[in-house]
Amino acid sequence: MSLCQNRLQEERKQWRRDHPFGFFAKPVRNPQGVLDLKKWECGVPGKDKTLWEGGLFKLEVAFPDEYPTKPPKCKFVPPLFHPNVYPSGTVCLSILNEEEGWKPAITIKEILLGIQSLLDEPNPDSPAQADAFNLFKKNRADYEKKIRNIVKENPAP
Amino acid sequence: MDSDDEFNSSASGSEGDFMGDNDSDASFGGGDDDSDLDMEDNDIGFETQDKDIKKSKQKYEVDFQVFGPEQVQAQQDNQIEEVGNILGQPPEAAAILLRHARWNKERLIESYMDNTEKVLESAGLGEAALHPPKIEVVKGFTCDICCEDGPGLETFAMRCDHRFCVDCYKHYVESKIKDDGEAARIRCPGDGCNRIVDAVSLDFLVTSDKLRDRYQELLTRTYVDDKDNLRWCPAPDCENTVECGVKDKDLPRIVPTVHCDCGHFFCFGCSLNDHQPAPCGLVKKWLKKCEDDSETANWISANTKECPKCHSTIEKNGGCNHMTCRKCRNEFCWMCMGNWAEHGTSWYNCNRFEEKSGYEARDAQAKSRQSLERYLHYYNRYANHEQSAKLDKDIFLKTEKKMTQLQMQTGMSWIEVQFLDSASQALQQCRQTLKWTYAFAYYLARNNTTEMFEDNQKDLEMAVENLSEMFEKSTDQLESLKVEMMDKTSYCSKRRIILLNDTAENLRKGEGLVVDLF
Repeated sequence: MSLCQNRLQEERKQWRRDHPFGFFAKPVRNPQGVLDLKKWECGVPGKDKTLWEGGLFKLEVAFPDEYPTKPPKCKFVPPLFHPNVYPSGTVCLSILNEEEGWKPAITIKEILLGIQSLLDEPNPDSPAQADAFNLFKKNRADYEKKIRNIVKENPAP
Repeated sequence: MDSDDEFNSSASGSEGDFMGDNDSDASFGGGDDDSDLDMEDNDIGFETQDKDIKKSKQKYEVDFQVFGPEQVQAQQDNQIEEVGNILGQPPEAAAILLRHARWNKERLIESYMDNTEKVLESAGLGEAALHPPKIEVVKGFTCDICCEDGPGLETFAMRCDHRFCVDCYKHYVESKIKDDGEAARIRCPGDGCNRIVDAVSLDFLVTSDKLRDRYQELLTRTYVDDKDNLRWCPAPDCENTVECGVKDKDLPRIVPTVHCDCGHFFCFGCSLNDHQPAPCGLVKKWLKKCEDDSETANWISANTKECPKCHSTIEKNGGCNHMTCRKCRNEFCWMCMGNWAEHGTSWYNCNRFEEKSGYEARDAQAKSRQSLERYLHYYNRYANHEQSAKLDKDIFLKTEKKMTQLQMQTGMSWIEVQFLDSASQALQQCRQTLKWTYAFAYYLARNNTTEMFEDNQKDLEMAVENLSEMFEKSTDQLESLKVEMMDKTSYCSKRRIILLNDTAENLRKGEGLVVDLF
């Protein structure tokens, strides 16, 4: 079996054995009802004691054939209002960038935990959408209000 | 700067012999040599004897040296060994340190002595040695990349102790080399680890010769890219490197044309084809201008006028002479460009002359047209020489045929018909120079030196056209023209050298030729 498939199967096993509280991650089924290991549906909860507490945000994680040599693509569905999330929903995070911090030893657990931290700690040096970035920079009070609304719209079960 | 140098040297007592055996003209050569020595002081001297053997250098020429791939490799190896010895590091670590410091030896040694830990850390050599790198089997090991855990699984880790199975490690390093073209900055595959995969570790992991060659090639590439005094020859498939001491800050005053062993002439400053005598900055500006302007400008010049008030460009595609500018609503007469109100309303034929407003409008417009025409004047000549050079290239190909014909018809030997070949080469070179003299002249302020420059340009141009004409002659005439052709060839080359020398000298002095990069 290919490295990609093998590794993803193993990750699936490890995730089922143990994963951080409040998260979910599972491969999707294709229209024929067969599990597609290269496409996962994941959920990242907002961290306790932050603006994002109480929210759960859904992501699509797509693994390329070259995984784990190349990083997967993580996309919020629907796109999330956040300075480091592109209008398409794609997450801009150093460990997900092949040229920057991606390493083959990084697992899906670490990716999701990384995205969780990013929620409340945006990186102002790499803005990915204008709306959220400008509001975050110029009017923190409005930004926080907007985030609270988004959390209300995406409540954790 | 150069003129300063000279000033200093004549003030500092060496005046005697300096003034003694040089007249004012030659003392510029003296000044040049001074500055060349200055530049090379920063590097290790490269075979100085070589220079004596070369034929004497013209003023427009710069010192340079061409290296093949092996020599570049040897240079790297020498420096790695030297630094390794000084710092007490093994060669593979010294290589990483040097690459990290962009091959600035002095700075590396200094900062290493200052703060060894910090330098090692930032170069990706941090975290003290736990194990020397080797391939081993570790009990109870699971690879974090492929999740294999079978017994007898071979594993590898560098000194950072991030251990993975050999297959994964190999796959990772190979894909970095093959797919990403990385070499000097491949990091440990462990999450967040910045340790660089060194040459010794690489030897364990990469076994295919092809990949190792590729790795070496990539390393060499970073070496040449990192060194300011080295540059690749841009000719396709040429693997040579040229070393030249001309710095970026000198480029406004020096045009460093170098000649690779592969035959390609290029500018060391910008890697473009030889553009003597125009300096790099000017060339860049000119090329951009040409890209933007030429064809459009031609059309505009032929078909439009400008609104005398807001200078919008207007094409008149019908109708009477009463114009109303769409932009500023200014009403004017198309014929005399004067204010329409002054025309009165009764006649639609402009038969008046020298109304003040019309005069001024025509004047302003004439100025802007003039600047366009000025540009087109230079551009057309520039483009013409470019075009002719292309045609001359065709002629060169025909020349080869002519040379063989000539041999057969007249019984001349191969050596005896070589004059055609050298004439054709001289022609190419002179055209190239002429072409750039026009771009250059466009930016020159009007003064005496510029006039001299243009005289030189005219002489060269005439010589070139004369020679070019002779190529059109039929083969049977060529035999009798041989001597004349050889004379003209050498005359052309001479005119070119004179022009380039004069220009280079004026540029260096930073006076006379006022380059106006508006």
